[in-house]
Amino acid sequence: MRISQTSGVPIYQQIADFFRSEIMSGKYKNGEYLPSIRELAKDLKISVITTMKAYEQLETEGYVTAVQGKGFYVNAQDSDMLKEQHLRKVEDALTEAIKYADIAGMTERELKETLSTLLNMKGL
Amino acid sequence: MEFEKVISGKNIEKDYKSFKLNVPELNIPKGFATALIGENGAGKTTLLNILAGIRTDYKGELTYFGKYSDKDRESNPVVKEMIGYTGTDNYYLPHWTVEGVEELTSLLFDNFDKALFRKNYEDLAISADGSFEGGKKVSELSDGTKIKLVLASVLARDTDLLIMDEPASPLDPLMRDKLNDLIRTYLTEKEGRSVFFSTHNILDMESVTDYAIIMEHGEVVETGFVEDLKEKYILVKGELADIEKAKDILYTVSTNKYGFEGICLAENLDKLAGMDVTTETATLFQISVAIMKKNTRVK
Repeated sequence: MRISQTSGVPIYQQIADFFRSEIMSGKYKNGEYLPSIRELAKDLKISVITTMKAYEQLETEGYVTAVQGKGFYVNAQDSDMLKEQHLRKVEDALTEAIKYADIAGMTERELKETLSTLLNMKGL
Repeated sequence: MEFEKVISGKNIEKDYKSFKLNVPELNIPKGFATALIGENGAGKTTLLNILAGIRTDYKGELTYFGKYSDKDRESNPVVKEMIGYTGTDNYYLPHWTVEGVEELTSLLFDNFDKALFRKNYEDLAISADGSFEGGKKVSELSDGTKIKLVLASVLARDTDLLIMDEPASPLDPLMRDKLNDLIRTYLTEKEGRSVFFSTHNILDMESVTDYAIIMEHGEVVETGFVEDLKEKYILVKGELADIEKAKDILYTVSTNKYGFEGICLAENLDKLAGMDVTTETATLFQISVAIMKKNTRVK
């Protein structure tokens, strides 16, 4: 994991993003503990409260569960359910985009072209 | 945020002729590194000395580790053993030798680990070639090295709380980095350990600071976990055209020929709507400076 102090993305967010993708990709298995908050802070040379905030965010999102005095373990990732959740987010975001395209008077074709352009820019 | 406290204080007061320390409530979280921040003369050392027991002529009520009073801190050996202290003054006498320091510390504290002291001595490179020079006199050491010796000895004790007065000040950049590592290692090695230090080298200590207490004129003007403070105080940059309107909204602001930069309370961010501004997460340094500027008497 590389932590950037100057990327504009808060450090706790960078840590949460890292572990989220590690969990999603199966590198951390169901029931496995994440590194302890203090160990991680020491290794990354950052404050304890920052790692704590990252883990709390993952907990809120349902990726991990906190156990008093033991740390944070990875929850079973129901991949179908997660995919469903993400799909819903995509639909919400696109619905929002359609709404604004409507306000701006864009045609369906223009909207699709914008999406294609953005996809190309992302390299997807 | 609720937290367990390693030290809590009520109505701490100390009167000087032209200065008054007045802290109605003080809480230092257990298990974290807490920085006491403020300009020179804000009362940092006075408060720290009261908490460390260096100064006992004060009013108020102090509780340590949730159950011991300040009387216990003075008289109960259990509590004494739990607390380590480093000051800015070199409290070893000039003619003492390194071995003398070692002997005396082990007499004073049961939990002093001689082997660990020797290891710390080596790790901190107190002697140029790393070998243990027990006969070396304290007066022969540079200021930075004296502090290293103090650190080596306090970290050779199995304590639960470290109280440090300006530990970074006499150290070079490399040693400041090492100091951060030492603090993090101290917190990691044993569950529930806490560190409380004063500093005006906020930049150097930022990456180890979990909780901040900011003082001005003998009073605590802000406290909080650093991540929470970063959500409360937002760095805002904007164009010169908006300065007049922005000035009334921002917490602090400074201008130059091209634009303005300032700190805005998160609750007031909405009021900047319509202005051409960018927002960023402020550093603890920027937040501290803003709070100090707001409260200082320096013009």
